[in-house]
Amino acid sequence: MRPKIAVLYAPGTNCHEETAFAIECAGGDPSMVILHDLLAGEEKLSDYQGLVIPGGFSFGDHIVGGRILATYLVARLNDELQAFVDSGKPVLGICNGDQVLMESGILPTGRIGERVAALAQNRMARFESRWANLLVPSTGSFWTEGFEGTILRLPVAHSEGRLYHTPGTEIRPAFLYADGQGMPTESYPANPAGSPGGVAGVLDPRGTVLGLMPHPERAVLKEHGSVDGLVLFENMIRYCCQT
Amino acid sequence: MGIVAVYVQRHDDPEARMLEKRLRLQGYKTLSAVRIERVYRLEGAVTIQSLLPLLVNPVSESYSEESSLVPEQGPVVEIGYQKAVTDPETPSILEGARALGVYGLEWARLSMRYQFSGITGDEALRIAKAHLYNPIVQMIVTESSYGSTLRPSGEPEPVRRISLRGLSDAELAKVSERNSWYAPLEQMKALQRYEEQRGRELTDAEIEIIVQSWSDHCYHTTWKSLGLLKVLMNATESIDHPMVVSVFKDNAGAIEFFDGYAVTLKGETHNFPSSIATFGGVTTKHGGVIRDTIGFGKGAYPIGGSTIMGTMDPRTPDEEVPAGALNPGHIVRESIRGTAYYCNPMGIPMMYSVYRAHPGYPKCLALGHSIGIIPKEHALKERPVPGDKLVLIGGPTGRDGIHGATASSVEMTGETAEKESAAVQIGHPITERKFMEAIPLLRDSGCIRAITDLGAGGISCAAGEMGEATGVEVNLDAVPLKDQSLSAWEILLSESQERMAMAIPADRVADALRILERFSVDATIIGTFTGDRRFRASWRGETVADIDMSFLWGACPIPQAQVKTPEPAKTCCCKGDVAKLDLAGLSDAAKRVLSHYHCCDQSQAGFQFDSTVQGRTVIGPYGGKTGKMPTNVFVAAPLRGKPYGVVSTIAYNPFYGDVDSAGLVKLMVVEAIARAVAAGADPQSIALNDNFYTPKYTPEVGWHLKRMVETAASISKEFGTPFISGKDSSSGTFLTTDGKSIDVPLTFAVATIGKMADVSRVRTKDFKSIGSSIVLVGGIDPTRLGGSVYLDCFGKRGSELYASDDPSYTQRVKKLWYRLHDLYGRSGCCVKAASAVGEGGVFVRLFEMAYGGGLGVDLSLDSSAGPLEGLLFSECIGSVLVEVGSESDLEELFGDLPYVVLGRTISEPVIRVSYCGDSVELPMDDLVNAWESTFGEVVL
Repeated sequence: MRPKIAVLYAPGTNCHEETAFAIECAGGDPSMVILHDLLAGEEKLSDYQGLVIPGGFSFGDHIVGGRILATYLVARLNDELQAFVDSGKPVLGICNGDQVLMESGILPTGRIGERVAALAQNRMARFESRWANLLVPSTGSFWTEGFEGTILRLPVAHSEGRLYHTPGTEIRPAFLYADGQGMPTESYPANPAGSPGGVAGVLDPRGTVLGLMPHPERAVLKEHGSVDGLVLFENMIRYCCQT
Repeated sequence: MGIVAVYVQRHDDPEARMLEKRLRLQGYKTLSAVRIERVYRLEGAVTIQSLLPLLVNPVSESYSEESSLVPEQGPVVEIGYQKAVTDPETPSILEGARALGVYGLEWARLSMRYQFSGITGDEALRIAKAHLYNPIVQMIVTESSYGSTLRPSGEPEPVRRISLRGLSDAELAKVSERNSWYAPLEQMKALQRYEEQRGRELTDAEIEIIVQSWSDHCYHTTWKSLGLLKVLMNATESIDHPMVVSVFKDNAGAIEFFDGYAVTLKGETHNFPSSIATFGGVTTKHGGVIRDTIGFGKGAYPIGGSTIMGTMDPRTPDEEVPAGALNPGHIVRESIRGTAYYCNPMGIPMMYSVYRAHPGYPKCLALGHSIGIIPKEHALKERPVPGDKLVLIGGPTGRDGIHGATASSVEMTGETAEKESAAVQIGHPITERKFMEAIPLLRDSGCIRAITDLGAGGISCAAGEMGEATGVEVNLDAVPLKDQSLSAWEILLSESQERMAMAIPADRVADALRILERFSVDATIIGTFTGDRRFRASWRGETVADIDMSFLWGACPIPQAQVKTPEPAKTCCCKGDVAKLDLAGLSDAAKRVLSHYHCCDQSQAGFQFDSTVQGRTVIGPYGGKTGKMPTNVFVAAPLRGKPYGVVSTIAYNPFYGDVDSAGLVKLMVVEAIARAVAAGADPQSIALNDNFYTPKYTPEVGWHLKRMVETAASISKEFGTPFISGKDSSSGTFLTTDGKSIDVPLTFAVATIGKMADVSRVRTKDFKSIGSSIVLVGGIDPTRLGGSVYLDCFGKRGSELYASDDPSYTQRVKKLWYRLHDLYGRSGCCVKAASAVGEGGVFVRLFEMAYGGGLGVDLSLDSSAGPLEGLLFSECIGSVLVEVGSESDLEELFGDLPYVVLGRTISEPVIRVSYCGDSVELPMDDLVNAWESTFGEVVL
């Protein structure tokens, strides 16, 4: 059985199609789940084994990227989503999805509504569309299994991707922007956001929720110029199959 | 209802920091700090507390109920949208409040408060005007700006009935001008006769509908009067290419793709609004051309976009900018911001972004393209049938964009800029993005009979065109408004963006509305297609328009245009002798060419546009080792999991038109195709989109225009490459406020769409290995430098374009394309890299290919072949530089084509040039520095 994965669509989402394709390539069974249907109770997250919040500009990135969708999740889908996270099912937020996870508190704490971090505007104050090298540190999570210590080449495309958090917050980095020597970097343009410590992706304390700014779904076929993104989806599907 | 305000401060604000840096570089040396506050004004029965989760993330932001900016720290300027304009963010703030369960919020506005420390209040105002706001849609907010309500409000004017009976020619002209109809006298007389015929006065709405429909922008009167509208269509018809699916008639053109799909191509300009209010003009340019794709057939899906900007040199100091025109540096910066603002949220990959300059562009060229994909079975619209419903979807209708079609059809003056300020709008990409996603679903579930976008002329043009064969009845009271003071004619004419009109069979309407609701797309039934061949509109219990379709679409008087051969001096300006070059001067010349605005690294703009979204991109705008080498081509694989490639390229050169209008057209067509073929497109299945931009009509301009169009038709036939869509703008003249008239250069841009059976066969242009031979195939004429970047570096234009009188030229390049395609198809093809020659000639391409591959080049030029400057910088359009293994049998590969081995690739990072027994070495680092420097000065 191919695990059923929900790909959340909200107005302004624009990476759902390629994200679903990447899940399919990795052996999963993706469905586009429309926010409208979740709010109306016509769809239930509990019917799915994994959740991906894909990239885009949900609600036009108005106020702050991810804020309005996060408001919906916290105010309207709180219990349903918290139960999903608590059950240990994998949750992946890519780019705008990562912003949504931060704005809703699911990252980095795993607790909805508890905001301790944000993805602030890039240091150069503009949108950056580039290929980036990402060092994968040792995390112990299934997400990075098999490629810890390696460098992945993935596209980046965002204007708000600089991690910002209250002092003392525990951050579990899963991806780090790397320089030509393969070392984590804060310098531009290898780290297009200017994210401190080079952090480009973060896990929750349990290690089942992952948010990252780069776009693994845009690097799954040979013709994309890199297939480095595929492993992430494969790990997600394998984990779903094991649990 | 009260209005409360929340002032939000970001703890760490890169935007404020970058603004400070930019302003200091622009001469505000005493500026010591910039602070920005975001101000939310909220109207309704709400408390600030209840909305805080939406407006403030306490981790990275704080807030106050009074401004936190202390007056002692410097002047404060607050910028917001004008009262009549709906903020882009308003609908989202309202929705966010409802998400929180706060239902009392009735309206919201966002403005920005800037504080500048270390400068005077006057300087702060000057900064605001020059850099922070667009006075046409925004304003400096004061305490009294919004009054007692934030909502755009007011009462509409009643319908006016206007009599033209008995008016003299002079009086008719005056009436036309007073009402901003911009209708030529012949049209005014036709209206006069129509009044007579109907036996009643016409309403303001009727006259507005008619003059909009007859404007040059909508009706192409200039082209029709020259008999040109059908020339390209006829050429395409006579080529009779089997791949062609739809040409010229629809919002875009389409060719057959693979597996039962078609791909579409369209280009659109927004020159007038982009010249007076660039950010809004450019955003709506993108929105409009994307809607042309969405509104193609029964709804196509956009898969690529472009932005092409022609301005004056963006480094022009203020005092040299023509009176009444915007500073071109501002235009370029604002256009980059506008493109990022609109295209990134649309989730459509950027195919190419091109910035060029010419002193004739105070009225700039703002061109954008869109390509899309659609199942072939849905590529042709049906005609609405009586009983079908007219459904309006997308954003509400406002006062924005009124008279856009007519205002853009006349020459531009400082005054039109002021008077027609309403012609400019701000795009709301989120609204368009929502229906872009929903429309293919509507289409596939059989809900769409016909669809079109609302552009110029708004509801009046869309409903009039869709209902041409049947008749249509529109209920204006049903149209959702964002400005309650709109009168009937304004509702009909408003060009508010992000709206589409659909003809939906009555029994499919309920399904359609359900699908649209799931995708949060607002939809309203605003009319019915009838069978009476009349355009009728009602408003507040009155019939405000009742026009015969046959009059609307058949009675426009087409003036007989005069054509006159220009005096030789007029055909060509700034002629000049070739600037001679020897090896000692090469380093300097090379750097001048590489740092020329047309050849320089423009990735500082390009990297702000998403080029990998949709996960289909095979070759994006940039590539090579550093990721910064311009590729000059876009290749995508639109059918997931399939190897089929779609290829698109652009050719645009503002210099060639100064030299020779026919040569310009020929070279642009050749350049665009050569770029596509060099990357791997099948030369047999390429289609073209044209874009003509010419000065205000004079008999001499008419002569050029005719020559350009006829050249385009004949070369298209020679290559068997059809034009499938196009756009013409015939009002490229700027009148300065001090009375000078500035014409745009004769402008012709060509975009291609092509296909390839297998994207794994693409050729990129970066050099792949050391010791390869570098071969120029297709010929070069080192004595022809006319229109080249090289001559422009020396302030000259030259007198002859490449190949302008070479009768074998087209057959030669055609043969080359088929040869390359044949070679690419062979297994173990020896061509490792390829790139078509363009601006800056062979030298610029060699530099880019070497830079992209992280290699160097050793060139041995044959001094008997021609002068050094010609060998390196002549723009031999159509010829292709290839990298082949040194063991390749060149005679076997290219023996029947002109070819020359220029040198080989080397590991040292230099370009070494040997000529006349001497040699010089140009370090790549120096060249890269020159190449990278220019655009940075612009985009600051």
